[in-house]
Amino acid sequence: MKTSRRNSWTFCVAASVTIAVALSGRLAGQTAAVKPSGGSSGSGTQWSLQVERIDPGHLDLAHSFQVAIYENLLEELNKTKRFKSVLREGDSKASEIPDLLILKTTVVKYTPGSETQRAVTTVSGATKLTVRSQLVTREGRIVLESTVNGNVHFFGSNLRATHNLARNIAKAIKQSAWQESERLARCAPVNSDCGRHTSLAS
Amino acid sequence: MYCLFVLRNDKSGCFGGRALISLWALLLCSGIGALAQSAAPPLNANAPFSIRATHVLGLPNTKNNCNGMLSIQNNALRFQKCGNPDAQVNIASVRALFLGEESKQVGGLPMKLGKAAAPYGGGRVVSLFAHKKYDTLTLDYVDSDGGVHGAIFEVTKGQGELVRNELVARGVSSSSGEDQATKQSTSEVTHEDK
Repeated sequence: MKTSRRNSWTFCVAASVTIAVALSGRLAGQTAAVKPSGGSSGSGTQWSLQVERIDPGHLDLAHSFQVAIYENLLEELNKTKRFKSVLREGDSKASEIPDLLILKTTVVKYTPGSETQRAVTTVSGATKLTVRSQLVTREGRIVLESTVNGNVHFFGSNLRATHNLARNIAKAIKQSAWQESERLARCAPVNSDCGRHTSLAS
Repeated sequence: MYCLFVLRNDKSGCFGGRALISLWALLLCSGIGALAQSAAPPLNANAPFSIRATHVLGLPNTKNNCNGMLSIQNNALRFQKCGNPDAQVNIASVRALFLGEESKQVGGLPMKLGKAAAPYGGGRVVSLFAHKKYDTLTLDYVDSDGGVHGAIFEVTKGQGELVRNELVARGVSSSSGEDQATKQSTSEVTHEDK
């Protein structure tokens, strides 16, 4: 009796291990199948991107915030693998790259918050940032325009808002269909706003 | 009676003399102090300078939010985490320097969990006192290709000024306007699209 119970228990464990291994292998296969399609995005040319420094507009945005948004943007855009290379402002290599887009970011709204206020009250003290991002070609044609928010409501320092913002901008660029519109605009050159998209990302 | 008066006069004269001497000594001491302050030696551009700092972001090959030593040696700004090779920025490549002030909660995750577990909202009361002000040092520098980089460091309050002075003494141009402190404010600043 005891031995049969033991055997059934062993069988159950072995079965669950087998199922887990099989599922993980299948998932890995799916990931491997998805990966290559994300790289080229269907379009022939793969663009490079140059990120410009953050324009604070008329707002009193701390310089640390501007730098943090800029650096986080570079990191997050690199992670998307959407661009052949992501360059910094002033990089001399940009002049040698034929298919180059420029990312311009202007801060349109900023609400300074307080980590202590967030910790004490939970509902107030949020740091909120709203920026307008534009993907522009060398000729000045806007291929993508979006307004993106980055906030920190509960946990984390105020600078975490810049990280969230950069991640949202990268997500907005990744999810947009700017490459298709750019290809169409190249085929049939019309006015400068032909490839313009406006999207709101939260 | 006369003798007594004279004696008293002598005593008061002696007391006045002592007071004068003490006053003179006090003035002399304060004068020497002032002289010592004004004649303080200027910052030696070659002397090594080192303080504890937290690298928030920006330096190549360095983890974000890691603690280490920020030092200035041989015209290079170095950040070294214990045991790791140091990241360095040539001071000549630093374009601008900004000093700011921030406040953050101390204690990290253990403190956060403790505050969450405290009954009757006791954690909130702890949060009121468990915060610390620190200076943020923001650098703009360029790499060999001309690309603009930014780096942010956190240092103990008051030490940001020292680092800035050191860097300015080595030829870095500090921004005219200080970095605005992100102080607690409920007002919302809006810049409408044109």
